[in-house]
Amino acid sequence: MIVPTYRERASALHAARAGATAGLCLAFGLVCALYANPAILLAVIAAAVTAGVAAGVGRELRRAALFAMPLALLVTLVNPLVYREGDTLLVRGGEILGRRVDITLEALAAGGLAGLRVAAFVIVFGLFSACVDPDALLRMFRRLSYRSALTAVLATRLVPVMARDALRMGDAARCRPEPPARLAVARAALSGALDRAVDVAAALEVRGYSVGGRPERLRRPWSRQDIRVAGGGGLVAVAALAAAVAGVGSVEAYPRVEIAFGAAEAVLCALLLAGAALPFAGRGARLGVASA
Amino acid sequence: MPEEAAALRLEGFSYRYPGREASALRDLSLEIEAGSFTVLAGTSGSGKSTLLRALCGLVPHFHGGEVSGEVEVAGMSLRDHGPGELAAVCGTVFQDPESQVVMGGVRAELSLPLEHRGESAAAVARAVEEVALALGVANLLDRRTDTLSGGELQRVAIAAALVHRPALLVLDEPTSQLDPVAGDELIWLLRRLNEEWGTAVVIAEHRLERCLPAADRVIAIEDGSVACDAPPAEFLDWAVRGGGGLATPIARLFSLAGLGPLPRSVKDARAVLRRTGLTPAGPDRRDGARQGGGETGEAIDGARPRRSLRHPRLGRGAKAPAAIETRGLWYEVENGPRILAGVDLRVEHGERVALMGRNGAGKSTLLRVVKGLAEPTRGRVERAGEGALLLQSPGDYLIHEHAIEEAGPDALAAAGLSGRERANPRDLSGGERQRLALEVVLSGGPSAAVCLDEPTRGMDRAHKDALAGRIGALADAGAAVIVATHDTEFASSFADRVVLMGQSVVIADGPPAAILAGGWHFSTEVARALDGAAGALTPEHGARLIGRELVR
Repeated sequence: MIVPTYRERASALHAARAGATAGLCLAFGLVCALYANPAILLAVIAAAVTAGVAAGVGRELRRAALFAMPLALLVTLVNPLVYREGDTLLVRGGEILGRRVDITLEALAAGGLAGLRVAAFVIVFGLFSACVDPDALLRMFRRLSYRSALTAVLATRLVPVMARDALRMGDAARCRPEPPARLAVARAALSGALDRAVDVAAALEVRGYSVGGRPERLRRPWSRQDIRVAGGGGLVAVAALAAAVAGVGSVEAYPRVEIAFGAAEAVLCALLLAGAALPFAGRGARLGVASA
Repeated sequence: MPEEAAALRLEGFSYRYPGREASALRDLSLEIEAGSFTVLAGTSGSGKSTLLRALCGLVPHFHGGEVSGEVEVAGMSLRDHGPGELAAVCGTVFQDPESQVVMGGVRAELSLPLEHRGESAAAVARAVEEVALALGVANLLDRRTDTLSGGELQRVAIAAALVHRPALLVLDEPTSQLDPVAGDELIWLLRRLNEEWGTAVVIAEHRLERCLPAADRVIAIEDGSVACDAPPAEFLDWAVRGGGGLATPIARLFSLAGLGPLPRSVKDARAVLRRTGLTPAGPDRRDGARQGGGETGEAIDGARPRRSLRHPRLGRGAKAPAAIETRGLWYEVENGPRILAGVDLRVEHGERVALMGRNGAGKSTLLRVVKGLAEPTRGRVERAGEGALLLQSPGDYLIHEHAIEEAGPDALAAAGLSGRERANPRDLSGGERQRLALEVVLSGGPSAAVCLDEPTRGMDRAHKDALAGRIGALADAGAAVIVATHDTEFASSFADRVVLMGQSVVIADGPPAAILAGGWHFSTEVARALDGAAGALTPEHGARLIGRELVR
């Protein structure tokens, strides 16, 4: 399965309320959005992987990383074909469709940074998918936008169902005397996904979805895991915002690549890692489910 | 709901799907009392599912189409109320549990209908706890829905439909994907809820022998109209008079033997047999059945003798290689359970094998390994040639826009689909898709082995009989046919050998008379009524047995 799916595990990230864990992932996502600095992006990847491994979802993150790599590579390779800016010419190409194609070191580097950012986003999303209970997330958002939240949750739930459908159709194709083209199977799987979506929509209708009212707020006390995970997320978010305001981690790709890395950037990287480690610090944090 | 309101009332109700010329339901008028247990009977395509979808409001509000007449569910008119509002009084359970469970966790799934209704957190928690206890799913509350078995999922779906205590519960073939044990349990669970909670139950099922003992009333639908509306005993009389297509096996047994009244349950059948002096066989005869008496000298007339399994292509005296042979077959999931544990199985050319066992016993995996879709972790599979495998969902094989593109004209004709060449396979009925998919996997030429995985799900008796005939033709052509099935009646109709699997291993292997007459869950209804006497499995064999007074 390419997209990690949530499984209950005995970890602080799983034991904490969905809002806290989602907040931590959101904070990592904020870093990805704010910074193109490779050191900071590598630090956020390291932080997400550290948190994921500590939460027992290392295997899921590995799959997310495998999914991210070709995407990152694609972005890296496409960027220099689109942008010609930069002082350092690597390859002088010909004209394609009336447009001159020169490949510069700066465009290649900018592509690499963009690819790294894509990879960081995918890995952070993998952490989110593997550690945040979608049902609890729906519960959290139901008072704000119930139907939108439900649709989003259903979309994530349908992913593994459709993946299983596609696997079955692939097996069925292998059982045919002359296996059909992959494209034909993929198209049929897509059609089947629409059927699935209709079935689920019908199931929702008969569960009273169309008359869904605004449910009352659920109140529950904050556990140790809630506080630690939320604290980690808060630390990462505050550090990222403050550093961004202070101009830390600036990157200029054109006309020449200039990447800032000094004490401030090192401190920010350390804070990101600290934010990832905070949920797992302290006694009993690893026994999250039992102690929640 | 007012006390005097019926659970359900239809008056001159007709419905036509959008874009179709023929009506799916025609001029239905009926009333179902609160607290009753009603079974909807009918052949495939008769309109049962459409009627159930009308009761929960999906027809016409979700599917569109044209309606006329009136439907009232617990006093709420279908004209004025959509499925969301009707959900307050009508719980609905569909055939495929995977498509109707929408949340990731069981507790969230059960809470969802109440949250839609804006219930307080305390009320939700209490209702979830109560329904979980009532349906025996309390131990599943903290499980993820994608880790549940089919039977567990179906129970969770029923719990979600009942959590707000609706007046009416409608179910569309809820046992079709369950093994005999889980299917029987589910029906009796519904009966208990019907009695204790007073919930009116309307259930559509093909395997009527499973439902009739619990039913107060049976409504037979034919071509969108009510053909029979009567208590179970009268329905059986009607079904037998009409040719027996909807009659249960023991009703047909009694009809053929000239006994009456027609029983609706095995218990009733035994009582009639006792009253008429035809008591079920004693332990000595049952033992005979278990030892394969049905095919030895004790066999009753007409019981299918075990055929010579040597294929005519092979010369007399030649040492025939098996069509399929597995030796010490293991299949273990990495970091997971073992699915097969040292399975040895030899299937000859022309042999017809029913592979049976509860859900999760390893039947499907064994077929996948035999076909080569899965690699065993240990052991060997030897095949005499190419094998064909039809997996559980025939729709998975149909990937083109037109039926003719799936297989050639000959295959289409063999599937009985001549004239439907331009039809989209997704628009074919379940039975038609099944037949077309079978021809697709067979279109590569003669196969040494043909494996079918649960091919009778949702099939009526006529289609099962046709499939049994096709299996016979394949076997006669020299193929070893292995069919994984939960349907004991179907197994008795085609198999000359039954392999029963427990968890990961073969626990019994022999002729149908020995395996299916000697058990309880894995046994035909006739065998249960006759206590396995002389290995009689089918109504015809049982009637001959009674006729010869072998059990007097």
